[in-house]
Amino acid sequence: MRSRLCLAGIVLLCAAAAAAADNPFVPVAGAEFRSALPSGTQERVVVPGFLLQRHPVTNAEFLAFVSAHPQWQRGSVPATLADADYLGHWAGPLDPGPRAAPLQPVTRVSWFAAEAYCEAQQARLPNWYEWELAAAASATRRDARADASWRQQVLDWYARPTGESLPAVEQGSANVYGLYDIHGLVWEWVHDFDSLLPADADPERFCGSGAQNLQQKENYPVLMRIALLGSLRAADTGHGVGFRCARDAEVKP
Amino acid sequence: MKARRSALPGALVSLAMLAVCAAAALPTDSLYQLRATLTTQQGVAAGFDVYRGQPTVISMFYGNCPSYCPMLITAVQVYEAHLDEASRARLRVLLVSFDAAHDTPQRLSELSKLHRADPQRWTFASAREPDARRIAELLGFHYRKLPDGSFDHSQVITLVDGEGRVLASTTKLIGDEAFQAKLAASTAAPR
Repeated sequence: MRSRLCLAGIVLLCAAAAAAADNPFVPVAGAEFRSALPSGTQERVVVPGFLLQRHPVTNAEFLAFVSAHPQWQRGSVPATLADADYLGHWAGPLDPGPRAAPLQPVTRVSWFAAEAYCEAQQARLPNWYEWELAAAASATRRDARADASWRQQVLDWYARPTGESLPAVEQGSANVYGLYDIHGLVWEWVHDFDSLLPADADPERFCGSGAQNLQQKENYPVLMRIALLGSLRAADTGHGVGFRCARDAEVKP
Repeated sequence: MKARRSALPGALVSLAMLAVCAAAALPTDSLYQLRATLTTQQGVAAGFDVYRGQPTVISMFYGNCPSYCPMLITAVQVYEAHLDEASRARLRVLLVSFDAAHDTPQRLSELSKLHRADPQRWTFASAREPDARRIAELLGFHYRKLPDGSFDHSQVITLVDGEGRVLASTTKLIGDEAFQAKLAASTAAPR
């Protein structure tokens, strides 16, 4: 009896500490999905179930990674894999400092660094269709994209000026999967970020030929993601660009 | 015999140290900074830096590609045909398939023979995800898989020096004179 009480106490303690300091992988059920990005001639794509981290990777989480993997510290990372602004707002290679609070999402990280981070967690970056599926959900529905008031709510964030300092993760409400900050905090790298548009589409002419292939032209939040990601190179580090990791769903025996 | 015995481990140690130093000295803008694993036409695992030390032409392809990829291979052969024999002997060619599921070592080997590529200087290899996309990112090469199993992809041929620094790249399969000039300069006899 006593030991059981102790156990319950420990579980409670863990749950309290787990809040935003923990970044578990949350299941997203698979779906056949109408994507804004047509795959060949098919408008619907099949996205198998997968797991996605509850919030974007934070400065504290990224600090643990660069501490364990010195080759990804600022000043050590090769120019091929991250540009000169990599973690530029951190006070030092192992010191996020006052401009990068522990629970703020990490930004100014290249795609290569995001890939390496996720690999170190036995995970990977989500691919575009996975991210788009997760991003279609509101607090109550898996696909809220037809809901004009939800779309407006998302758009309001895009219209808000980005200040010097980003809010901490998990300040808003979760979507139906229990995922936070899919919209409203940072842009997020995906594994296939640069192959969203046809290979012959020139990202700089996104408003021209490239955009003609896009579906759901009213779905601005997603179209803006596609445009932004398409304009990045893998070594680029952006002020508002972060990431979170994904895993394949565990196959039930 | 005794002297030999003691000298050999010593030599090995210095060799190993040399290798460590050389690895550390890789330039920061080298493509070989990426650690990626390839499977070659011989069925062996190799690093992306398999041709480190030699000027190398690198590109990506997939074996089921109906028209572009055979043209790419021919294009590289035409570019190197414009070099004199001694320069050509110094050049290496690395073609990486992003369709590892289909491009098995056997298929890569068949492809190599079909194009009469010199196996001493040319390597056909494949890379799995996520390495394939990481290599593509380094080269500025875009590909995406289509529902029918084919790929939509861009074209680019990249020339790197022995340390993996990009010297030139071209999207032209034929007749890029600037690229040809860099190819000639990088493979010229060391003065």
